[in-house]
Amino acid sequence: MRIFKDSPKFTVGIIIILLLIIIALLEPKVNVYRLNGHSSTEIGLYETSLPPSRDHPFGTDPYGRDVLSLILTGLKYSLLVGFTAGSLATIVAVVLATLAGYKGGSIDAFITTVSNAILVIPSWPIVAIIVLFVDKVNLLYLSLILAFFSWAGSSRQMKPQIASLKERPYVELAKVTGFSDLEIMFKEILPNFLPYIFVGFSYAVTGTMMAETALRLVGLGPADIPSLGQVLNWALYSGALAQGHYFLTLVPIVVLVLVFVSMNLINVGLDEVYNPRLKKITGV
Amino acid sequence: MRSRLASYAIRRFFLYLLIFFISLTVFFFFLNLVPGDPVTRYVQELEARYGLTTPISEEIIREYKEAFGLDKDLFGRYTSYLKRLIFEFDFGPSFVAFPTPVSELIIDALPWSIGLLGVSIIISWVLGILFGTILGWRRESKVASFSLVLGLILSQIPPYLLALVLVMVFSFALGIFPMGGAYSPLIEQGFNLRYIIDLIYHAFLPAMSLILVYTFGTMISQRALVINILGEDYIKLAEAKGLENNRIIKRYILRNTLLPQTTGLALSLGFIVNGFFLIEWIFNYPGIGRLFMTAIRQMDYNVLMGITVITMFGVLAANFIIELLYPLIDPRIRR
Repeated sequence: MRIFKDSPKFTVGIIIILLLIIIALLEPKVNVYRLNGHSSTEIGLYETSLPPSRDHPFGTDPYGRDVLSLILTGLKYSLLVGFTAGSLATIVAVVLATLAGYKGGSIDAFITTVSNAILVIPSWPIVAIIVLFVDKVNLLYLSLILAFFSWAGSSRQMKPQIASLKERPYVELAKVTGFSDLEIMFKEILPNFLPYIFVGFSYAVTGTMMAETALRLVGLGPADIPSLGQVLNWALYSGALAQGHYFLTLVPIVVLVLVFVSMNLINVGLDEVYNPRLKKITGV
Repeated sequence: MRSRLASYAIRRFFLYLLIFFISLTVFFFFLNLVPGDPVTRYVQELEARYGLTTPISEEIIREYKEAFGLDKDLFGRYTSYLKRLIFEFDFGPSFVAFPTPVSELIIDALPWSIGLLGVSIIISWVLGILFGTILGWRRESKVASFSLVLGLILSQIPPYLLALVLVMVFSFALGIFPMGGAYSPLIEQGFNLRYIIDLIYHAFLPAMSLILVYTFGTMISQRALVINILGEDYIKLAEAKGLENNRIIKRYILRNTLLPQTTGLALSLGFIVNGFFLIEWIFNYPGIGRLFMTAIRQMDYNVLMGITVITMFGVLAANFIIELLYPLIDPRIRR
C-alpha cells in the first residue's frame, strides 16, 4: 500500500480510528469481566464519586458507576450511530453526486440547489425538534434523521472529483465501446472514485457523530443508547463540572475529539495522495 | 454593467426566498404531520411531570387549541401561519410564558446572539486568513509545521465540547471567568465603560470556544489555498520581476484567496450556528440558543417553530448579503 508510505497523516489517522474501533468491539468482553456481568449503566453498583484507583482507573461517577466502563460503552454506541448514519448518508451522497456529476445539466442544477439548501440551513435545531416530537426514537430513526441532513456535506466533497473523472480517457473509451450510462457509472467511475467516497464517508461520520453528541448532551434522543454524548449529559447534570470530576468530563471529550481528528487526518492524507494538483505543488 | 449587477442580485434574492419558503414549508408540514398536537402533548407532559391525578379539562384544552389556531385543518393552519408571519411578524403566543408573543421573546434574545456570534465569526475569519497566509508562505519553517498539526487537531473539536472544557477549567477550577450570563446582575446597564467591560468579560469564554476552533479551521483552508496559488505561473513571474514579498502577498495571494474564503464562510454559517445553540446553553447566555433549549425542555412548540424559522431566515439572509459582496471581491463575477 503506497499511501501508508506517502502520507504519514493518513497512517496516523487510520491507526487511531482502528484502535478505537477495536476497543469498541472489545467493549462487551471487557465490561463483563470488569463489572462481573453487570451493565455499565447500572446505578449504584459502586460507591459514588470515588477517585481513580486500581479497580476504577477513572474513578466512579456520582451515580456509583465505573467511569471507564461507561466511556467504553459510550464509545461503542457513538461509533455505532456515527457509522450507521454516516453509511446511509454516504450511499445517498454517492448516488446523487454520481448522478449530478455524470449527467450534468438541469439534474445537476437541481441536486446542487437542494444540497446547498440543506448545507446552508442550520439543521441542528430542526433535528432537535424532530427528535423531541417523534415518539420512541431508536437507533435506525435517529440515523435516518441525521443522515438526511448530512448527505449534502458529503456530496459536496465528492462532486467535483466525479465531474473530473467523467472527462478521463477510459470513460470515453467505455462510451465508444457502447457501455450504458449505468455500466459506466458503476464499472468505470465508482472504482476510481473509492478514495473520494471515503472522504465523503468520513465527513458524514464526523458530521453525524457531532450532531448526535450535541443531541444527547442536551438530553434528547433514545435513552437506551448510552453514547458518549449521553455520558456527558449525565456528567453535566450530576454536577461533574462544579465538582471537578475531570475524568468523567474530559475523557469522553478527548475520545470524541480523537475520532474526529483521526477521520480528518485520513481525509487530509487521501487528499494529499490522490489530488494530483496538490501533490505537484507541495511535494508532500 | 449596473443593470447586470442588479439582475444578478435579484436572481440570487429570489433563489434564497425560494429556498426559505421551501424549507419553511417542508419543516412546517413535517412537524404538523407528527401524530399528536402540541397542546395535547404539552398537557400530557405536564401531567407526567407533576403527577397530576385529575385530568386537565377538555374544555380548557379546546380553548387553547383555538387560541393557537390548531382547530383548523392542516392546510388552513399553514396559510394562517404564513399570513401571520409575513404580515404581522407573529409566531403566535408562547405556551409557557402565555400570552407573551413568541416574537417578543425572540426580539429580546436576538441582539445577544447576533452580537456574540458576529464578533466571534469576524475575529476568527480574519485571524484564520492571517495565520493561514503566513503558514502557507513560510511552509518549510518548524513553527509552520507545528501550527499545522495544532490546527489539524483544534479545528476538529466541536465548539460546544471546547466550551465544556473552558467552563470547567476557567470558571469552576480557576474561577477567572464567570460561569455564565451576559452581565453581572447588579451592574448599571447602559453606555458606560464598566458595563461594556463587564459584557466583554462575560462574553469572553463563549466567544473563545468559537474563535479557537474556527480560527484554526480557516487557517488550515487558507494555507491550502495559498500553497495552491504559490504554484501558479503568475507568482513566479511576479517573483522574477523582483516584486516585494509584501506586494505579492497582498495583491496576488490574499486577493485570490478572498473569494473561496468568503464562499467557505457563507457555506459554514449554518454549521457554526448549530454549535452556537449549545454554547449559549452551556454558558447560560441570554440569546436565542438558550431560549431554544428552554423551549425544548418545556416543549414550547411556538417558540421552537419561531426560533427555527428566524435562524433559517437569518442565515439565508447573511448568505445573500455575502453573495452580494462577491462582485466587489472578484471583478470576474461582474461580467
